[in-house]
Amino acid sequence: MTTLTADTRRTGPAHRPDRGTERLTFGRVVASEWVKLRTLRSTWWTLGVTVVLMVGIAALVAWGMTQGDEPAPPGMGIIAVTAGTQMAQLAVAVLGVLIITGEYTTGMVRSTFAAVPTRLPALAAKAIVLGVTVLVVGAISTALSYGVTLPFVSGTSLEIDLGDADTVRALVGVPLYLAAIALLALGFGALLRHSAGALAAVLGLLLVIENVVALIPLRFFEAISPYLPATAGSQVMMPSDFAFADPDALGAWQGYGVMLAWVAVVIAVAAVLMRRRDA
Amino acid sequence: MIEAHGLTKRYGPKTAVDDVTFTVQPGKVTGFLGPNGAGKSTTMRMVVGLDRPTHGSVTVNGRSYAQHRSPLHEVGALLDAKAVHTGRSAYNHLLAMATTHGIGRSRVDEVIAMTGLEPVARKRVGGFSLGMGQRLGIASALLGDPHTLLLDEPVNGLDPEGVLWVRNLVRYLAAEGRTVFLSSHLMSEMALTADHLIVVGRGRVVADAPVADIIGRATGTTVKVRSPHAARLVELLAGPGVTVTTSGPGQIEVTGSTAETIGDVAAAAGLALHELTPVAASLEDAYMSLTADEVEYHSTGAGTHLDPEPHRAGASAGSAVTTGRL
Repeated sequence: MTTLTADTRRTGPAHRPDRGTERLTFGRVVASEWVKLRTLRSTWWTLGVTVVLMVGIAALVAWGMTQGDEPAPPGMGIIAVTAGTQMAQLAVAVLGVLIITGEYTTGMVRSTFAAVPTRLPALAAKAIVLGVTVLVVGAISTALSYGVTLPFVSGTSLEIDLGDADTVRALVGVPLYLAAIALLALGFGALLRHSAGALAAVLGLLLVIENVVALIPLRFFEAISPYLPATAGSQVMMPSDFAFADPDALGAWQGYGVMLAWVAVVIAVAAVLMRRRDA
Repeated sequence: MIEAHGLTKRYGPKTAVDDVTFTVQPGKVTGFLGPNGAGKSTTMRMVVGLDRPTHGSVTVNGRSYAQHRSPLHEVGALLDAKAVHTGRSAYNHLLAMATTHGIGRSRVDEVIAMTGLEPVARKRVGGFSLGMGQRLGIASALLGDPHTLLLDEPVNGLDPEGVLWVRNLVRYLAAEGRTVFLSSHLMSEMALTADHLIVVGRGRVVADAPVADIIGRATGTTVKVRSPHAARLVELLAGPGVTVTTSGPGQIEVTGSTAETIGDVAAAAGLALHELTPVAASLEDAYMSLTADEVEYHSTGAGTHLDPEPHRAGASAGSAVTTGRL
């Protein structure tokens, strides 16, 4: 342990000539949230896993499609590029949960709310920083996934036509879908405030609830299934001529809109509670 | 200046802070003293808006904390040494806090140097000792060079050198005209550091006065007497405002009288005295008397003497009840 400086005079305002411009602004809160996000190892781990899963699974699926006895149906190449999303969304969900529950479980949130006492700017800044980061990483992952499938699909019926508007929409849909998953996870994290609870809720929804509801052959469940967040949102990544498409599924943008509505509702409820609850 | 009006906080059926009203003046160090569970931390959290009062209000320089445009310049708070993400380095924690207000990296380096955190600044906070965590908390509080400092148990876990540094720092900051509000259960530390004391027990303010007054109220009020005629003395001394307690065979403690009076009474009755000792009251004694009825967590098997050690405050206060009040 080192000694403390006895010279306390350095705290004096005379030594702070630039103090006049120092003030709390929303832009600065966003910058602060970026500092927070980039200075945690968990961020780089979850984002790294996202890229690896996307690219690895794309390569694997593309290779698998070329190994069958019969040629794969045309237009399936895009399925290979987006296939990793099912796994990568779990890593992104973990990041979205931890960005907020990490603060609650460590007590950091008290420092955050002391600096930003109206609280909601901090939540909004987190959403912006998380959303943009996942969009960028999702876009990079998609580009790499496309690249890694090229050796397998070039010259085959699987070749991806980047001139086709639906194909481009499905590719752009990957980062959009991942960003929405991250924000949904942020909402659950802000709502539940515990890492384990929020992870269980998000992963339970994505892996268990949506799949179970989709399997139950009762009218009620068949009616609500297309409107569940991931089921609806994932339509934005589907090629329009996908052979195995669910006839009840929502349209691409319609489905993504439903997912964003879920995100908005969860974050809005979390925001109301965040204002009210003791930190 | 911090002004609390009728501040109340209830958690379900439990009242943590009960209709507390006080003012913390700038230019001096105000100590916030009370046993564990007295509501000190809850009160401080309400000052910076982390907890929402059930009733009442608290303002800092005339406005509620959240209404200030530049909160970190207004109030620097050390509320909990653990209010830091364990996975982030001390430097990055301070940088993230500073960034919200556009405070530059040079100021981050400055508070790190001031608190002696340089060797560990790039290490993750999860591995910090209590003392290092406390220094980081103080560094965060100083970051905005605030008008008001709110320090909850700042010397907890610090070595003697660190304790001295905090004492000098808060006295210097108060001398500059800032408001310094410091909580502690270390009464001896308060006697050296604070100018004014607000003493709380079970969520209520039990004293709000200059330190000198609070000690003064307690000084010389108890006299220890040993005599083979203790029983006879008890009868002679009994009177309005005087409390006599038997503390052992042939041993009594008298409050509300003076050694001179007791000696004269004994001499007039021809009773031999083996001991006549005015017990010099300290801030500890004053504090024990003030909070005797307010201690939330009494330990069983109370000690028989007043113990200056803070972690035994409960045990000591228990004995203060039996030996009479001020």
